[in-house]
Amino acid sequence: MLKGHLDMIVLAALAPGPAHGYAVIEEIKRRSAGAFDLPEGTIYPVLHRLEQAGLLAGRWMTADSGRRRRVYELTRRGEHALAERRAVWEQFSDAIGSLFRGSRTGKRPA
Amino acid sequence: MIRPYLARLARELDFDPSLSRQVVQEVEDHLREAIERDPVADRLEAERRAVARFGDPRAIAAQFAVVSLAALARRVGLAAVLLIAAVFIAMKARLAWYGVVPFPLAEEARALGEMVLAIDRWAFWLAVLAGLAGWVYIGVRRTPGGFTREYSAQLRHFSLLCSAAAAALVVCVAADGVLTSLRLIAAQWSIASLVPLISVAIEIACAAVLVSRLRAMARHAARTARLAPAA
Repeated sequence: MLKGHLDMIVLAALAPGPAHGYAVIEEIKRRSAGAFDLPEGTIYPVLHRLEQAGLLAGRWMTADSGRRRRVYELTRRGEHALAERRAVWEQFSDAIGSLFRGSRTGKRPA
Repeated sequence: MIRPYLARLARELDFDPSLSRQVVQEVEDHLREAIERDPVADRLEAERRAVARFGDPRAIAAQFAVVSLAALARRVGLAAVLLIAAVFIAMKARLAWYGVVPFPLAEEARALGEMVLAIDRWAFWLAVLAGLAGWVYIGVRRTPGGFTREYSAQLRHFSLLCSAAAAALVVCVAADGVLTSLRLIAAQWSIASLVPLISVAIEIACAAVLVSRLRAMARHAARTARLAPAA
Protein backbone atom coordinates (compact mmCIF):
# COMPACT_ATOMS: atom_id res chain seq x y z
CA MET A 1 0.00 0.00 0.00
CA LEU A 2 2.87 2.34 0.90
CA LYS A 3 4.37 1.91 -2.59
CA GLY A 4 1.34 3.53 -4.22
CA HIS A 5 1.76 6.66 -2.11
CA LEU A 6 5.55 7.06 -2.23
CA ASP A 7 5.38 10.08 -4.52
CA MET A 8 3.06 11.90 -2.13
CA ILE A 9 5.16 10.91 0.89
CA VAL A 10 8.37 12.21 -0.71
CA LEU A 11 6.71 15.45 -1.85
CA ALA A 12 5.32 15.97 1.67
CA ALA A 13 8.76 15.34 3.20
CA LEU A 14 10.22 18.06 0.98
CA ALA A 15 7.45 20.57 1.74
CA PRO A 16 9.37 22.27 4.60
CA GLY A 17 12.32 23.04 2.30
CA PRO A 18 15.23 21.67 0.24
CA ALA A 19 16.86 18.45 1.48
CA HIS A 20 19.18 15.69 0.29
CA GLY A 21 18.13 12.03 0.03
CA TYR A 22 19.29 10.99 3.51
CA ALA A 23 17.46 13.95 5.11
CA VAL A 24 14.28 13.11 3.16
CA ILE A 25 14.34 9.56 4.54
CA GLU A 26 14.96 10.81 8.09
CA GLU A 27 12.10 13.31 7.73
CA ILE A 28 9.74 10.55 6.54
CA LYS A 29 10.72 8.35 9.51
CA ARG A 30 10.40 11.22 11.97
CA ARG A 31 7.05 12.52 10.74
CA SER A 32 5.53 9.03 10.46
CA ALA A 33 6.88 8.20 13.96
CA GLY A 34 8.84 5.31 12.43
CA ALA A 35 5.78 3.79 10.71
CA PHE A 36 7.28 4.33 7.24
CA ASP A 37 10.63 2.56 7.54
CA LEU A 38 11.36 1.91 3.85
CA PRO A 39 14.46 0.32 2.31
CA GLU A 40 16.39 3.57 1.97
CA GLY A 41 17.47 2.91 -1.62
CA THR A 42 13.88 3.03 -2.86
CA ILE A 43 13.69 6.79 -2.24
CA TYR A 44 16.35 7.72 -4.82
CA PRO A 45 14.53 6.40 -7.93
CA VAL A 46 11.44 8.26 -6.68
CA LEU A 47 13.43 11.51 -6.31
CA HIS A 48 14.81 11.12 -9.86
CA ARG A 49 11.38 10.26 -11.28
CA LEU A 50 9.76 13.28 -9.61
CA GLU A 51 12.58 15.49 -10.87
CA GLN A 52 12.04 14.14 -14.40
CA ALA A 53 8.31 14.91 -14.07
CA GLY A 54 9.18 18.52 -13.14
CA LEU A 55 7.80 18.23 -9.59
CA LEU A 56 11.26 18.51 -8.00
CA ALA A 57 14.40 20.41 -8.90
CA GLY A 58 17.76 18.89 -7.96
CA ARG A 59 21.14 20.60 -7.68
CA TRP A 60 24.62 19.56 -6.58
CA MET A 61 26.24 21.31 -3.64
CA THR A 62 29.18 20.73 -1.32
CA ALA A 63 28.24 19.65 2.21
CA ASP A 64 30.09 20.81 5.36
CA SER A 65 31.84 17.42 5.30
CA GLY A 66 33.29 18.36 1.88
CA ARG A 67 31.29 15.66 0.11
CA ARG A 68 29.34 16.41 -3.08
CA ARG A 69 25.64 16.19 -2.31
CA ARG A 70 22.48 16.42 -4.39
CA VAL A 71 19.75 18.54 -2.85
CA TYR A 72 16.12 18.46 -3.98
CA GLU A 73 13.35 20.99 -3.60
CA LEU A 74 9.72 21.28 -4.67
CA THR A 75 9.06 23.22 -7.84
CA ARG A 76 5.89 25.30 -8.29
CA ARG A 77 4.37 22.30 -10.11
CA GLY A 78 5.44 20.06 -7.24
CA GLU A 79 3.71 22.34 -4.71
CA HIS A 80 0.50 22.22 -6.77
CA ALA A 81 0.73 18.43 -7.14
CA LEU A 82 1.23 18.03 -3.38
CA ALA A 83 -1.75 20.30 -2.60
CA GLU A 84 -3.94 18.31 -5.02
CA ARG A 85 -2.88 14.95 -3.62
CA ARG A 86 -3.34 16.18 -0.06
CA ALA A 87 -6.92 17.30 -0.86
CA VAL A 88 -7.75 13.95 -2.50
CA TRP A 89 -6.20 12.04 0.41
CA GLU A 90 -8.10 14.06 3.03
CA GLN A 91 -11.36 13.48 1.18
CA PHE A 92 -10.64 9.74 0.97
CA SER A 93 -9.54 9.58 4.61
CA ASP A 94 -12.71 11.42 5.78
CA ALA A 95 -14.90 9.06 3.75
CA ILE A 96 -13.21 5.93 5.17
CA GLY A 97 -13.35 7.44 8.69
CA SER A 98 -17.10 8.00 8.30
CA LEU A 99 -17.56 4.42 7.09
CA PHE A 100 -15.67 3.03 10.08
CA ARG A 101 -17.55 5.25 12.53
CA GLY A 102 -20.81 3.98 11.01
CA SER A 103 -19.76 0.35 11.37
CA ARG A 104 -18.76 0.89 15.03
CA THR A 105 -22.29 2.03 15.99
CA GLY A 106 -23.64 -1.14 14.41
CA LYS A 107 -26.35 0.70 12.46
CA ARG A 108 -27.45 -1.05 9.27
CA PRO A 109 -28.21 1.04 6.21
CA ALA A 110 -31.92 1.31 5.44
CA MET B 1 32.06 -2.72 2.54
CA ILE B 2 30.91 0.56 0.95
CA ARG B 3 33.24 0.31 -2.08
CA PRO B 4 32.12 -3.19 -3.20
CA TYR B 5 28.49 -2.17 -2.69
CA LEU B 6 28.91 0.96 -4.84
CA ALA B 7 30.82 -1.04 -7.47
CA ARG B 8 27.94 -3.52 -7.66
CA LEU B 9 25.40 -0.72 -7.92
CA ALA B 10 27.46 0.87 -10.74
CA ARG B 11 27.54 -2.49 -12.55
CA GLU B 12 23.76 -2.88 -12.25
CA LEU B 13 23.30 0.67 -13.58
CA ASP B 14 25.67 0.21 -16.54
CA PHE B 15 22.77 0.64 -19.00
CA ASP B 16 23.06 4.42 -18.43
CA PRO B 17 26.65 5.51 -17.62
CA SER B 18 25.85 9.15 -16.79
CA LEU B 19 22.95 8.16 -14.51
CA SER B 20 25.19 5.52 -12.94
CA ARG B 21 27.89 8.10 -12.06
CA GLN B 22 25.33 10.48 -10.54
CA VAL B 23 23.50 7.81 -8.55
CA VAL B 24 26.71 6.25 -7.22
CA GLN B 25 27.89 9.67 -6.01
CA GLU B 26 24.52 10.31 -4.34
CA VAL B 27 24.42 6.89 -2.73
CA GLU B 28 28.00 7.21 -1.46
CA ASP B 29 27.07 10.48 0.25
CA HIS B 30 24.00 8.78 1.75
CA LEU B 31 25.92 5.78 3.07
CA ARG B 32 28.74 7.88 4.56
CA GLU B 33 26.19 10.10 6.30
CA ALA B 34 24.34 7.03 7.63
CA ILE B 35 27.62 5.61 8.99
CA GLU B 36 28.59 8.91 10.66
CA ARG B 37 25.18 9.13 12.35
CA ASP B 38 25.06 5.49 13.45
CA PRO B 39 25.55 5.36 17.24
CA VAL B 40 27.28 1.97 17.04
CA ALA B 41 31.02 2.24 17.82
CA ASP B 42 32.17 -0.52 15.47
CA ARG B 43 32.74 1.12 12.06
CA LEU B 44 32.43 -2.13 10.13
CA GLU B 45 29.13 -2.89 11.81
CA ALA B 46 27.89 0.62 10.98
CA GLU B 47 28.87 0.07 7.33
CA ARG B 48 27.12 -3.30 7.26
CA ARG B 49 23.95 -1.77 8.71
CA ALA B 50 23.98 1.19 6.31
CA VAL B 51 24.33 -1.12 3.30
CA ALA B 52 21.62 -3.49 4.59
CA ARG B 53 19.20 -0.60 5.16
CA PHE B 54 19.85 0.75 1.67
CA GLY B 55 18.65 -2.42 -0.04
CA ASP B 56 19.50 -4.72 -2.94
CA PRO B 57 21.43 -2.89 -5.73
CA ARG B 58 19.62 -4.90 -8.39
CA ALA B 59 16.17 -3.90 -7.11
CA ILE B 60 17.26 -0.24 -6.96
CA ALA B 61 18.75 -0.44 -10.47
CA ALA B 62 15.47 -1.93 -11.75
CA GLN B 63 13.60 1.16 -10.52
CA PHE B 64 16.20 3.45 -12.08
CA ALA B 65 15.94 1.52 -15.36
CA VAL B 66 12.33 2.64 -15.72
CA VAL B 67 13.27 6.28 -15.00
CA SER B 68 16.12 6.10 -17.52
CA LEU B 69 14.00 4.44 -20.23
CA ALA B 70 11.21 6.97 -19.75
CA ALA B 71 13.64 9.89 -20.11
CA LEU B 72 15.19 8.35 -23.23
CA ALA B 73 11.77 7.65 -24.79
CA ARG B 74 10.71 11.28 -24.23
CA ARG B 75 13.94 12.51 -25.82
CA VAL B 76 13.45 10.19 -28.82
CA GLY B 77 9.83 11.37 -29.22
CA LEU B 78 10.93 15.00 -29.25
CA ALA B 79 13.84 14.22 -31.59
CA ALA B 80 11.44 12.52 -34.04
CA VAL B 81 9.24 15.62 -34.23
CA LEU B 82 12.21 18.01 -34.57
CA LEU B 83 13.92 15.88 -37.23
CA ILE B 84 10.72 15.61 -39.28
CA ALA B 85 10.37 19.40 -39.00
CA ALA B 86 13.98 19.79 -40.19
CA VAL B 87 13.25 17.58 -43.23
CA PHE B 88 10.20 19.74 -43.99
CA ILE B 89 12.32 22.93 -43.84
CA ALA B 90 14.95 21.38 -46.14
CA MET B 91 12.22 20.38 -48.63
CA LYS B 92 10.66 23.85 -48.55
CA ALA B 93 14.07 25.52 -48.96
CA ARG B 94 14.78 23.36 -52.03
CA LEU B 95 11.39 24.19 -53.56
CA ALA B 96 12.00 27.91 -52.91
CA TRP B 97 15.40 27.57 -54.66
CA TYR B 98 13.69 25.98 -57.69
CA GLY B 99 11.64 29.21 -57.84
CA VAL B 100 14.87 31.21 -58.16
CA VAL B 101 16.88 28.76 -60.30
CA PRO B 102 14.50 26.42 -62.20
CA PHE B 103 15.53 22.78 -62.59
CA PRO B 104 12.68 21.48 -64.81
CA LEU B 105 12.00 17.77 -65.16
CA ALA B 106 12.75 16.23 -68.56
CA GLU B 107 9.58 15.37 -70.51
CA GLU B 108 10.27 11.61 -70.42
CA ALA B 109 10.77 11.72 -66.60
CA ARG B 110 7.54 13.61 -65.89
CA ALA B 111 5.32 10.53 -65.33
CA LEU B 112 7.89 8.91 -63.02
CA GLY B 113 8.33 12.26 -61.22
CA GLU B 114 4.61 12.55 -60.52
CA MET B 115 4.44 9.01 -59.12
CA VAL B 116 7.46 9.58 -56.88
CA LEU B 117 6.03 12.92 -55.76
CA ALA B 118 2.78 11.22 -54.67
CA ILE B 119 4.77 8.63 -52.68
CA ASP B 120 6.85 11.47 -51.20
CA ARG B 121 3.78 13.38 -49.99
CA TRP B 122 2.03 10.36 -48.48
CA ALA B 123 5.22 9.20 -46.78
CA PHE B 124 5.90 12.65 -45.34
CA TRP B 125 2.40 13.08 -43.86
CA LEU B 126 2.52 9.55 -42.48
CA ALA B 127 5.85 10.43 -40.80
CA VAL B 128 4.32 13.63 -39.36
CA LEU B 129 1.24 11.82 -38.01
CA ALA B 130 3.17 8.87 -36.54
CA GLY B 131 5.91 11.12 -35.10
CA LEU B 132 3.44 13.52 -33.45
CA ALA B 133 1.32 10.62 -32.16
CA GLY B 134 4.41 8.98 -30.63
CA TRP B 135 5.60 12.21 -29.00
CA VAL B 136 2.18 12.98 -27.49
CA TYR B 137 1.61 9.33 -26.50
CA ILE B 138 4.81 9.08 -24.45
CA GLY B 139 4.63 12.68 -23.22
CA VAL B 140 1.31 12.25 -21.42
CA ARG B 141 2.21 8.89 -19.80
CA ARG B 142 3.25 8.85 -16.12
CA THR B 143 6.47 7.00 -15.35
CA PRO B 144 5.65 4.11 -12.97
CA GLY B 145 7.76 3.26 -9.91
CA GLY B 146 8.92 -0.02 -11.44
CA PHE B 147 8.62 -2.24 -14.49
CA THR B 148 4.96 -3.04 -15.04
CA ARG B 149 3.37 -5.01 -17.86
CA GLU B 150 1.32 -1.94 -18.73
CA TYR B 151 4.37 0.31 -19.04
CA SER B 152 6.24 -2.27 -21.15
CA ALA B 153 3.23 -2.33 -23.49
CA GLN B 154 3.23 1.48 -23.62
CA LEU B 155 6.91 1.52 -24.57
CA ARG B 156 6.22 -1.06 -27.29
CA HIS B 157 3.40 1.09 -28.71
CA PHE B 158 5.67 4.14 -28.63
CA SER B 159 8.46 2.23 -30.41
CA LEU B 160 6.00 1.11 -33.08
CA LEU B 161 4.81 4.68 -33.68
CA CYS B 162 8.37 6.00 -33.86
CA SER B 163 9.48 3.14 -36.11
CA ALA B 164 6.54 3.90 -38.43
CA ALA B 165 7.56 7.58 -38.44
CA ALA B 166 11.19 6.69 -39.17
CA ALA B 167 10.28 4.23 -41.94
CA ALA B 168 7.96 6.79 -43.56
CA LEU B 169 10.65 9.46 -43.26
CA VAL B 170 13.22 7.18 -44.94
CA VAL B 171 10.78 6.58 -47.84
CA CYS B 172 10.09 10.33 -48.05
CA VAL B 173 13.82 11.19 -48.11
CA ALA B 174 14.50 8.46 -50.69
CA ALA B 175 11.70 9.90 -52.86
CA ASP B 176 13.18 13.38 -52.47
CA GLY B 177 16.54 11.95 -53.53
CA VAL B 178 15.00 10.44 -56.68
CA LEU B 179 13.10 13.65 -57.54
CA THR B 180 16.19 15.80 -57.03
CA SER B 181 18.30 13.42 -59.16
CA LEU B 182 15.72 13.56 -61.98
CA ARG B 183 15.87 17.38 -61.97
CA LEU B 184 19.67 17.58 -61.73
CA ILE B 185 20.24 14.99 -64.47
CA ALA B 186 18.10 17.03 -66.86
CA ALA B 187 20.01 20.26 -66.10
CA GLN B 188 23.54 21.44 -66.78
CA TRP B 189 25.85 21.10 -63.77
CA SER B 190 26.41 24.46 -62.06
CA ILE B 191 27.17 25.85 -58.63
CA ALA B 192 23.38 26.35 -58.23
CA SER B 193 23.02 22.55 -58.19
CA LEU B 194 24.72 22.50 -54.79
CA VAL B 195 21.64 23.87 -53.00
CA PRO B 196 19.34 20.91 -53.89
CA LEU B 197 22.19 18.49 -53.18
CA ILE B 198 22.88 20.00 -49.76
CA SER B 199 19.17 20.02 -48.88
CA VAL B 200 18.90 16.31 -49.74
CA ALA B 201 22.06 15.63 -47.71
CA ILE B 202 20.43 17.38 -44.73
CA GLU B 203 17.32 15.22 -45.15
CA ILE B 204 19.42 12.04 -45.31
CA ALA B 205 21.28 13.10 -42.15
CA CYS B 206 17.97 13.77 -40.31
CA ALA B 207 16.56 10.35 -41.26
CA ALA B 208 19.85 8.67 -40.27
CA VAL B 209 19.86 10.41 -36.87
CA LEU B 210 16.27 9.32 -36.20
CA VAL B 211 17.03 5.71 -37.12
CA SER B 212 20.17 5.72 -34.95
CA ARG B 213 18.21 7.21 -31.98
CA LEU B 214 15.64 4.43 -32.33
CA ARG B 215 18.35 1.78 -32.47
CA ALA B 216 19.98 3.29 -29.37
CA MET B 217 16.63 3.13 -27.55
CA ALA B 218 16.18 -0.51 -28.58
CA ARG B 219 19.70 -1.34 -27.28
CA HIS B 220 18.96 0.53 -24.03
CA ALA B 221 15.68 -1.38 -23.59
CA ALA B 222 17.48 -4.68 -24.21
CA ARG B 223 20.13 -3.85 -21.59
CA THR B 224 17.48 -2.97 -18.98
CA ALA B 225 15.30 -6.00 -19.79
CA ARG B 226 17.45 -8.23 -17.53
CA LEU B 227 16.31 -6.08 -14.58
CA ALA B 228 12.60 -6.49 -15.30
CA PRO B 229 10.86 -9.08 -13.15
CA ALA B 230 9.94 -12.27 -15.03
CA ALA B 231 6.34 -12.23 -16.31
